Amino acid sequence: MRWTESDIAIYEKEREYVDTAVLPLIPISMTSSVKTTVSMGEYISIISGELERQLKGRLLLMPAFTYLQTENSESRVERLKQVEEELYQGGIKHIITLSADVEWKQSEAQLSSALLWMPAIPLEHMDEQYKMETVSAQVKQVLQFVTNTWQSNTNS
Amino acid sequence: MAKKNEVTRRQFLNYSLTGVGGFMAAGMLMPMVRFAIDPLLKEGAKQDFVPVMDTSEITNKPVRKEFKIDQVDGWYESEVTQSAWVYKDEKDEIVALSPVCKHLGCTVDWSSNPAYPDQFFCPCHAGRYTKDGMNVPGTPPLAPLDVYNKKVQDGKLYLGKPEPR
Ligand code: FES
Repeated sequence: MRWTESDIAIYEKEREYVDTAVLPLIPISMTSSVKTTVSMGEYISIISGELERQLKGRLLLMPAFTYLQTENSESRVERLKQVEEELYQGGIKHIITLSADVEWKQSEAQLSSALLWMPAIPLEHMDEQYKMETVSAQVKQVLQFVTNTWQSNTNS
Repeated sequence: MAKKNEVTRRQFLNYSLTGVGGFMAAGMLMPMVRFAIDPLLKEGAKQDFVPVMDTSEITNKPVRKEFKIDQVDGWYESEVTQSAWVYKDEKDEIVALSPVCKHLGCTVDWSSNPAYPDQFFCPCHAGRYTKDGMNVPGTPPLAPLDVYNKKVQDGKLYLGKPEPR
């Protein structure tokens, strides 16, 4: 489900079925390596959008968590933890964070959400068909990761 | 001496100001009203049929096909990806089912649950459907999968809109 009034109305009714939040982590920079920064964000947005489309009945796609490339990692982690806390309070059981920024890898241990890191594939020069295939191959893996998270938690 | 029908200075000013004010208000409101009902005015261009695959590729095992359609949603016109599960049934008829689960809208997968190899399975809350798209009672979905409008032309399968049964 998306962060829109109409989807949230369904969410309120079906809370027991929607136990997972997807949180894209998107960096901002207007001064250095702007293009790489943008491409990370664009790729992650596409993947999260697709993920939502396929599993919309059980997950809520949150507005992205944004941070400046220059923000130090303690402060990012601190802020992200607050978001996590809020989501858990709201009844979310699993949080999946998606990022193309390798720096989050180092902070993974401090987070309670499941971090899914993937390198941004530049889609800019691909033709439509190839783009779709590339994205859907990546999405397949992401789906696998998400359904595994669900399974490991129901079995334990 | 003012005659009965003569307009006094005050009345004249009042009338003319209301008139001008009215025009101004109308000038402001009209675009707003138009803007608000615009999507209703240009009643959606009917969803056309989109070529999806060669009919010769279709077997009795459901395969998932993705295709893009133009969708008009309010003021936005965008390309959205849609998919269909396509196969031939026992009577050799082509069937194209929407993969959107009738419970809360996840995408169902064919044969992905080892315990039910001949069914569509929804990864979200374990909803199940038989091959013809009928929901399995006792699982969360309460309706069968939607069926695509379809047509075959020059050996190609074209899909239109998914319709509920
Ligand atoms: S969305 Fe398919 S079973 Fe709930």
